[in-house]
Amino acid sequence: MQVTIDARGLACPQPVIMAKKAIEENEQINVVVDNDMAVENIRRLAVKMACGFSVTEKEGGIREIALVRTGATSQTPIDSEAIAAEISCAVVAGKETGPLVVVLSDNHMGRGDDVLGDILIRGFVHTLLQLKPLPDTIICYNAGVKLAVKDSAVLDDLQQLAKDGVDILVCGTCVNYFEVGDQVAAGHISNMYDIAETMAGAGRLLRP
Amino acid sequence: MEEQRYVVFLFPSVSYALKAEKILKVARIAHKLIPVPRHISSDCGVCVRITEDKQQDVERELLGKVEWDKVLLL
Repeated sequence: MQVTIDARGLACPQPVIMAKKAIEENEQINVVVDNDMAVENIRRLAVKMACGFSVTEKEGGIREIALVRTGATSQTPIDSEAIAAEISCAVVAGKETGPLVVVLSDNHMGRGDDVLGDILIRGFVHTLLQLKPLPDTIICYNAGVKLAVKDSAVLDDLQQLAKDGVDILVCGTCVNYFEVGDQVAAGHISNMYDIAETMAGAGRLLRP
Repeated sequence: MEEQRYVVFLFPSVSYALKAEKILKVARIAHKLIPVPRHISSDCGVCVRITEDKQQDVERELLGKVEWDKVLLL
């Protein structure tokens, strides 16, 4: 009988543990997972247990893995510790860790010298374009909003980031305070609710 | 759309790059101060990027005012 394990939405190492248990009890199993780490761990499990392994991509990032036990393994005792050592729940940059949020809280990078800080922040924002994966969200507040207004030296970079799908939140209170509300030219005006929620929900927060 | 080709001006130090930037601002030549691309140098430096067609204009503006190391196609 063929058994299907639904391991979608489960955190590492849950999917590979379920897969291991199931393949110990069955000749052939299917495991449905939704992340690369689970695929990789189950691939290693298959090697350890001398199972046939194949993976099929489904819609929405779902992967269906087929494991088939070969005759030899049924006699071979399974070294659980060796398998456990192979399981990796290392953080894979990107989705699993939650959104990557960049906070631009100033129009300078670092403290000490504003001329240098200006050069650095321009280099930083420009370099964000080359990050893989791109940040999910950029939040500009306090003097950071000046980066997103007309005549900002990094306006083209921020506009390109927005075009590439990065959500750019610009603090409304701040543009009001600096009286640049009519000059915001990248991203969209936001409020403290969205800003606090986005920061609280971030997997990683980057502050230059 | 054909991809825009750029060249970068590399300078002996950050202050040279800043001086060059000021001159280009006055001369109203579109430019961008960017980190020196990794494949060109591993130094933490900045350079001035311009579109390829502006190279001669920039050289003319900077000549005798700011010296530069090299101009490289990006």
